[in-house]
Amino acid sequence: MSAQDHDRVADDRAGPGWAAVVMAVAAKDLRIEFRTRARTLTMAGFVVMVGLLFFFSVDRALVRPQDIASGLTWITLILAGLIGVGRTFEIEKADGAMTGLLLTPAPRDAIYLGKVLANFILVYAIVLLTTAVFGLFFQLDYSNHPGALLLLLAAGTLGFVALATLFGALTAETTLGESLLPILLFPLLVPMVIYGAAASSRLLLGRPLSEVEGQVRMLAAFALLAVSVGAVLFGQIVEE
Amino acid sequence: MNASSTRSSHDGGLGLHALRRRFGAHVALRDVAATLPAGAITAVFGPNGAGKSTLLKLLAGSLQPTDGSISWKGATLDTRSAEWRARIGVLSHDTHLYAPLSARECLSFHARMHGLRSPDLDAALDRVDLLDRAEDRVAGFSRGMRQRLALARTLLHDPDVVLLDEPFTGLDAHAAQLLEEVLRTLRDGQRTVVLVTHALSEGLALADHVLMLVRGAVVLDTPSERLEADTFAERYHALVDAAEIARATTTGAPS
Amino acid sequence: MNARTGWFGIGMALAGVLVSAYTLWMVFFWVPTEVSMGIVQRIFYIHVPSAWVAFLAFGIVAVSSAVYLWLGDERADIAALSAAEGGIIFTTIVLITGPLWGKIAWNAYWTGEPRLTLTLVLGFIYVGYLMVRNATDTPERGKRFAAVVGIVGALFIPLIHMSVYWFRGLHPDPVILNPEGPTADPEIQTTLYVGLLGFTLLFLGLMALRYSVERAHRTLELREAA
Repeated sequence: MSAQDHDRVADDRAGPGWAAVVMAVAAKDLRIEFRTRARTLTMAGFVVMVGLLFFFSVDRALVRPQDIASGLTWITLILAGLIGVGRTFEIEKADGAMTGLLLTPAPRDAIYLGKVLANFILVYAIVLLTTAVFGLFFQLDYSNHPGALLLLLAAGTLGFVALATLFGALTAETTLGESLLPILLFPLLVPMVIYGAAASSRLLLGRPLSEVEGQVRMLAAFALLAVSVGAVLFGQIVEE
Repeated sequence: MNASSTRSSHDGGLGLHALRRRFGAHVALRDVAATLPAGAITAVFGPNGAGKSTLLKLLAGSLQPTDGSISWKGATLDTRSAEWRARIGVLSHDTHLYAPLSARECLSFHARMHGLRSPDLDAALDRVDLLDRAEDRVAGFSRGMRQRLALARTLLHDPDVVLLDEPFTGLDAHAAQLLEEVLRTLRDGQRTVVLVTHALSEGLALADHVLMLVRGAVVLDTPSERLEADTFAERYHALVDAAEIARATTTGAPS
Repeated sequence: MNARTGWFGIGMALAGVLVSAYTLWMVFFWVPTEVSMGIVQRIFYIHVPSAWVAFLAFGIVAVSSAVYLWLGDERADIAALSAAEGGIIFTTIVLITGPLWGKIAWNAYWTGEPRLTLTLVLGFIYVGYLMVRNATDTPERGKRFAAVVGIVGALFIPLIHMSVYWFRGLHPDPVILNPEGPTADPEIQTTLYVGLLGFTLLFLGLMALRYSVERAHRTLELREAA
């Protein structure tokens, strides 16, 4: 390489911009997912099948579907999300790609947030699918404040994805692997299920927005806490 | 003006100072002290378990020493800093590539991780004879092609220090020759190269400086011109045996 | 440091055993029977101090984990491990005495009582913490991973606490779950506090003993390595 080229590259070496790293990592993950479609199809198939099984498991003569649909939706979200995010680090383990990524000057928390962003987009799409599927099977009426419903689902999903990505990175480096993920994750999801299911349930039953405000705020706090904690501790997990 | 001397001048190159790395009860590196000259190729030889890969990881910052330090041109290094990572390139067994992406996409991603604003991806691909396969997915590449792409990725940000862990293993003749040329070009361009390899003769032919480790200790640290190519293999085995015997007698048990 | 911790541990544990034994004497022979709940209520004097210790232990785990991650001091990791092992024992005691009491007193093993629910969640976090420690290729990573689990767990406990209590508020049980009883007699309070003291001392003693054993073990490892 000539001296001129070296200088040009050296100027380039101002280091990667933080936001640029987040975007690049998210774009890379989404591009890979788009090419392989492995996780998306698995999650989507899971959701539809579970919806169908729930449909068969509920005797509509005895139980009103609206009463339980909310809880079922959140549980399905968790299980489907677990499948999807659990594999998030498989891509990185193949060919030691994560190691290569860590050898670059890209900041660890930016890498983490990039992955969270990509996983969020993926899982939220599945959440929307779940909502649609359950709406179909249980004839649910979403007309009461659909915006609020989407928002609270987004907050819950973000918190879930943030924690699952953090612990996914951890379990990828253990001998037990993915099977350890539920044990680590589920205790922390208690607030998400409690507030999330209560809020979506109320909205489904036609309750006013004021009754769910508190829960939406708690979900937002949950998401914020999860993302912050993940960003700080991710570096500790991926270090060798 | 290659700084290929072993005078312990700590103002040039990579300085290893009393490096020690322990994994639980196992000591991988014990009191490793040496200076790997800047702007030169240093070959690191040693049998399996000698600690060569560990040394490379310490230089790359993937691992931290249990004791001791590393310096670059006289100044103590924080190998975990972004600044250091921006100036090193690492090539190891794993290719660090994403199979579903194309060659160009892999390089582009790497460039963005380094914050390179206008990387010349075409030139980088051309240097390793992969320009015609730029848009093809890595999944369809042979081992040799992947290694070449990994090499292109390693050099994309023009690192000052290049660390290679057994890069010749499993390479086809074409890729191996390409690698040798690239290494020589790097050295001519005043880049520092640390090459861990089992290939004694190839390594010696390329190297300006030789470091040899056995069981985590330095047994040889010398400019390559002081070594005789024909007898080096013998000398290597003699050194390994001597170190094994010494270890057996001090610990009282073969291990 | 090691021998001292060992003796400290024995001392504390002995003190703990003595105070706890005294508590038991108080429980069986001194404190009057609580009016509304009867004799079974006496389990409360084991149940509540155990819960207190379970959460105290986890607090120690969290703080030690943070110290370990940021200062790299091995002793902090040993402290966290010792606290976790003690903590999970007391958590188990809570989870056994709670449903037992519930079944005998109100014919229901599980009443969704928020404190018990929270302790159950804590139990899972403990299990995850200990599993992660032993599930890695290198012990160093296991320690670091466990520390992460401990810190994240501790940071989420307040939120989990709030949610569980809020949930409880939505579905209040007809049974009045005030373990102190409608009138908090001084004898009841005294017995409770003595129990708290005894169990805390016992836990600290066990923790110190575990600490000294583990410390010796790791120091030996270090000597072998050199």
